[in-house]
Amino acid sequence: MNVFKKFTVLTLATMFVITSAFAGSAAAAGDTLKGKITINGSTALLPLTLQAAKEFQKLHPKVSFAASGKGSVTGPQAVKKGIADIGACDWDASTDVPGFKAFEGQVANKVAVIPFATVVNKNVGVDNLTTDQLKGIFSGKITNWKDVGGADEDIVVITRAFGSGTRVNYQAKALGGGDIVKKSKNYKEVGSSGDMKTAVATTPNSIGYIDLVYVSGDIKAVKYNGVEATADNVINGKYKIWSYGYYMTKGQPTGEVKAFIEYIQNKKFQTTTAKKMKFIPLSAMK
Amino acid sequence: MQTPISEQASQTSILGSVTTKSKFNRAARVRFTNKLFQSYFLFSILALCLVLALVIVFIAKTGFLTFETVSFKEFFLSFDWTPEEEHYGAAAFIVNTITLTGLTLIISVPISIAIAIFNAEIAPAWFRSFIRPVLDLLVGIPSIVYGYLGLTVLIPLLREWTGEDLADGMLAAALVLSLMILPTISRISDDAITAVPKKYREAAYALGSTRLQVILKVVVPAASRGIMTAVILGMTRAIGETMAVVMVIGNTAQIAKTLFTPASVLTSNIVMQISNVEFESTWNYALHMMAFLLLAISMILILVIRFLRAKGGAQA
Repeated sequence: MNVFKKFTVLTLATMFVITSAFAGSAAAAGDTLKGKITINGSTALLPLTLQAAKEFQKLHPKVSFAASGKGSVTGPQAVKKGIADIGACDWDASTDVPGFKAFEGQVANKVAVIPFATVVNKNVGVDNLTTDQLKGIFSGKITNWKDVGGADEDIVVITRAFGSGTRVNYQAKALGGGDIVKKSKNYKEVGSSGDMKTAVATTPNSIGYIDLVYVSGDIKAVKYNGVEATADNVINGKYKIWSYGYYMTKGQPTGEVKAFIEYIQNKKFQTTTAKKMKFIPLSAMK
Repeated sequence: MQTPISEQASQTSILGSVTTKSKFNRAARVRFTNKLFQSYFLFSILALCLVLALVIVFIAKTGFLTFETVSFKEFFLSFDWTPEEEHYGAAAFIVNTITLTGLTLIISVPISIAIAIFNAEIAPAWFRSFIRPVLDLLVGIPSIVYGYLGLTVLIPLLREWTGEDLADGMLAAALVLSLMILPTISRISDDAITAVPKKYREAAYALGSTRLQVILKVVVPAASRGIMTAVILGMTRAIGETMAVVMVIGNTAQIAKTLFTPASVLTSNIVMQISNVEFESTWNYALHMMAFLLLAISMILILVIRFLRAKGGAQA
């Protein structure tokens, strides 16, 4: 391509951008919301965030989004450093949780309900585990499936790395704050929910934990104290292993950030989009 | 060094004759553009060096903050890595990294050098032109694909053969890594062997050597420096490889006592934990220190390659 052609393309492109910008602002006349919202943090909440951003932008075209997911704790950290307006986190980062201190001056806004499930490989015959049995298994005291009513096979424990939002919640809710074994022959750590699913699905006699939405195919969710892990049981209060997903903000949210959070918390979004993505509507928990 | 000067002289004379006819001073213009490009290229190189220096300085600076709270002795000699309880001993990772690299080399070096020798000395031309692109292709496959295949194909197989419950560990990681560095080592060794002058072989045959004797006693020793470079390049790749290893090694911060103990190496531990720690914490600094260690190891290996090359060049 010669220089002249390059210039032509460049000019046309610039003109196009300018025109569309004008067109955009014309359509949004009367819309007072504008600005850029930066969101960082939990990967579990990222799909919800992206979908909500897409819908929100249709209503308010002058608001732009930059969303990324890395890990729960990076959310409140990014807010603290001023890199992000919203820090998505799987736990309430304005309070202390095991391993992480509270982030001072941050407000936790509930945006979703995330249920977690204890999962086992499909070759495992056990389909109900009590709190004490789970504590024993994950702390390394129970090492054989026959001790909890299964076949005479070693238990393979698969967990998430320390600091994972799923792990923080599972440890607090399902294990009652109990320890997870650190050094053992049949113990393995994985980096993400996807890896957890693959690992449990391909390792016979394995046990792990994962967001309920991931449970399908080769892994099976076991009952917790006799209660099946379903959305209905979370809503009617029988199944206890779940947590809110939070948007952390520096102080109370204002302006476009406030509008966006309210859009997500709105019953309409919760009962349509969020439900379709297998999150439980916030309103159902009251 | 003589030819360029004479060329330059003849060029100037041609340019000079043109200048008299041209409106613009062509010689000056050429000199100007030459100068311009020279400084542009120089600028590019310096910019690259600056970026690299910044990266090293940043990692080192962050890494060395570790030692404000953790003693040198604990970091390098303690095997206890439980950062949530303030124990920052990285020795297990260092030992595992070295073990894994060693194991990988033990598996892959003999195989890849055999491939190289076969390719360069024995194989017919059509086979060579078939196998070389295959090896190049193996280099291009993203490491995460190797890791996934390791996790879903290799590990269940190992589990079946050994009767282990988990089978994650050093052997699985070493096998995956061996497959990954095999093309690197064999292609570079291949080039080194091909580059051995024909006269060596002819002389050896003339003395009555068999083909095996020519290969083992003449060709391979003559190409040994090139092969060494290939092995070291493969080794740097094995040390730095992360995604494939993290999927099959088991990620448990303990020393690997057997081939099937779930363990963790420097790279896999960094990638597993870096996104889950607070920015300004000893834990984060300790992970940066581990990254700096890896960088230092690679740097030393590259220096070794330079040293070997320089010596080889002087000999030839």
